[in-house]
Amino acid sequence: MNESEREKWYAYHHQKFGIPLEYLKRDYEEELSGKVPMEAPLEVPDKMEVLYKYSFGQQSRFFRELRENKKIYGARCPECSKVYCPPRSHCSLCYQPTEWVPLKGTGVITACTVQYFTTSAFIRKVPFICAYVQLDGTDFIMLTNMEVEDVSNIRVGTRVKAHFREERHGAITDVYFRPVD
Amino acid sequence: MRRVGIVGMGTTKFKARWTDKTYFELAFDAARMAFEDAGIDRKRIDCAVYGIYNDFFQRQYQPDAFVHDYLGLGLKPMVRVNSGGATGGSAIRIGYSEVASGLYDVCLVLGVEKCNDCYNYEVQTTTPEVLRAILYTADMTYDNPAGRTAASGFALAVVAHQEKFGNPTEIQMAKVSVKNHYNATKNPIAQSPKVITVEDVLNSRKIVEPFKFYDNCLYTEGSSAVILASEEVAKELTDNPVWITGVGASADYVMPGNRPNIYTFESSRVAAKKAYEMAGIKDPLNELDLAELHDAFTGTEIMAYEDCFFCEEGDGGRLVDDGTVMHDGKLPVNLSGGLIGCGHAVGATGIMQTYEVALHLRDEAGERQHKNARRGLVQSIGGTLCTWTVCLVLERGKG
Repeated sequence: MNESEREKWYAYHHQKFGIPLEYLKRDYEEELSGKVPMEAPLEVPDKMEVLYKYSFGQQSRFFRELRENKKIYGARCPECSKVYCPPRSHCSLCYQPTEWVPLKGTGVITACTVQYFTTSAFIRKVPFICAYVQLDGTDFIMLTNMEVEDVSNIRVGTRVKAHFREERHGAITDVYFRPVD
Repeated sequence: MRRVGIVGMGTTKFKARWTDKTYFELAFDAARMAFEDAGIDRKRIDCAVYGIYNDFFQRQYQPDAFVHDYLGLGLKPMVRVNSGGATGGSAIRIGYSEVASGLYDVCLVLGVEKCNDCYNYEVQTTTPEVLRAILYTADMTYDNPAGRTAASGFALAVVAHQEKFGNPTEIQMAKVSVKNHYNATKNPIAQSPKVITVEDVLNSRKIVEPFKFYDNCLYTEGSSAVILASEEVAKELTDNPVWITGVGASADYVMPGNRPNIYTFESSRVAAKKAYEMAGIKDPLNELDLAELHDAFTGTEIMAYEDCFFCEEGDGGRLVDDGTVMHDGKLPVNLSGGLIGCGHAVGATGIMQTYEVALHLRDEAGERQHKNARRGLVQSIGGTLCTWTVCLVLERGKG
C-alpha cells in the first residue's frame, strides 16, 4: 500500500465503524506498513450491530413511570401477594396476572461489591459500587446503579434511596441510588 | 428407549408483531396454554427445552434463562437449542431424548421468537434490519459480505432443481402459495389467511428469481409449546395422547462446496429416512395421512415432497398438479397454512407444525380437521441451503 491507499483504508474503516482515526492508525500502522509477512495472522476492524424499536411489552408502564413521574412501580400477585420489582405481567409461581403498585423508592443493600475493572461502556466510571437492593415493599432484589463519593462506606444493610436523573429516557438508568443520609 | 407422548400443547397467535408482549411474555402465554391443556401446573415439569433461534431478534443473548425464570421453572434443568429454521424441530428431538432415555418423565418443549423489534429507521420498517440480524448467522467471512439472504440461498437451490429436472415451474410454485394461503383461512392462529389466485402470485413483486412476494413466508412473532411425557405419565394425564413414533435428524455441510449438488437437500433425505425406519414406514405416500413441511418458500415445499420420499426425485411438481398435496388430496401438506400461510416464528415454527399435526390426530382441528388422521409427518429445516433437518412421525393414541 502506498501513502494514499493507507489514508483511504483509514478513512473507510473510520466511516464504517466509527472508530476514531487516531485509534485506527495506532492499531494498524504496522499492518499497513508492508513489513508484515503474508502468512502472519491478519486482524481487521469489525462490529456486529442491529438497530431496534424495542417494545418493553407488559413492562412498558414501569419505564414510562420512571420517565414521566419519577416513580418506581412494582407488580403484585393477587394470589400469593408477592411484589415483583423488576415487574412482571404474571406471577411466575401462581401464573396469575399481577397488579401495579407504586413503591416508595427506598430499600436496603443485600449484597455489594466494588468494581475496579469493567466493560468498555463503563470503563471511565471505576471504581463504582455494584449492589443488589431489596426495595421496600417488594420480595425481590434488583441490581442497581449506585452513586456514592466514598465506595468504602457501602455495606450490606446500608439503607438507600432512589434518585432520578434530570434528563430521563425511559430506561433503568433514569434511576440511581444513594445511601439515605 | 421409552415411548414418548404429547400430553399438552399451546400456541399464541402467529402474527407480524406483538408490540404488547416481550419474547418471555409470549413464551409465558404458550406455556400457560400447554399446562392448561395437559391439566397440570409448572410443578409437574421435570425439565425444559427451549427453541430460540436468533439472539439478535430477542435483543438478548441466552434468552432461554429469562424464559425459564419467567415460567417459574427455576432449579429445574433446561437447555436451549438453536438450529436456524429447524430450531423448533430440534427442540422436540432433544425433549424426546430427555424423556425416552428415562432421565425425566415430563418435559416442556417451548419455542419462541420475536424478530420485529429489529427496525430500520430510514425506511420505517422492520424487514431490512431483520435480514441483517439473520445474516449474522450466515458465514461471516465469505457469505455475509455478499449480501445474500435466506431467500436467495434457497432460490439458488430451486433454480438448480429447475435446471436439472425442469420443475418446479412458476405455476406449480404459485399453486403452493394459493394452497397454503387458503389453508390458513381455516386456521385461527394464522398470520396470512388469504384467498388468492395463481395470477395474483405471478403478478406479485419480484423478491429473488424465481420467487415472487407470495412465494415467500413472512416474518412472524409467536410462541408454541408442547409437553412431552413418558408412556406411563401420558396415560395418567390423558386418554388422547399423541405418540412420537419416529425421529430423524441430520446436519449437512454448511459450506455447499462439500456437497455433491444443491438441487436436493441431503439432510432432509437422511432425516426422513431415519424417521420412517423408526416408525416402520415403507411407503410414506400411502402410510401418512397428513404432513406439515417447512415451506419457507413455495419451491422448497415442492423439493420437500421429493426429499420426504412422497415421489421420485425430480417429480415433486406433479404432486401439486395432480392435487395430491391439496387439502382434500391423498396426502394434504400444510393444512395449518404452513410457514407461508400460518407464519414462521422461527424457534416456534417446528413446534407449531407439531401442534398442528397433533391437533388433527386428536380430532381437534375444527374446520380444517383431516377426516381420518392416524399418522402425520413434521419436517423442520433450517440453515444455509438446509443445513439441518429434523423429521418427526406422530401417531394418534386414541383408537
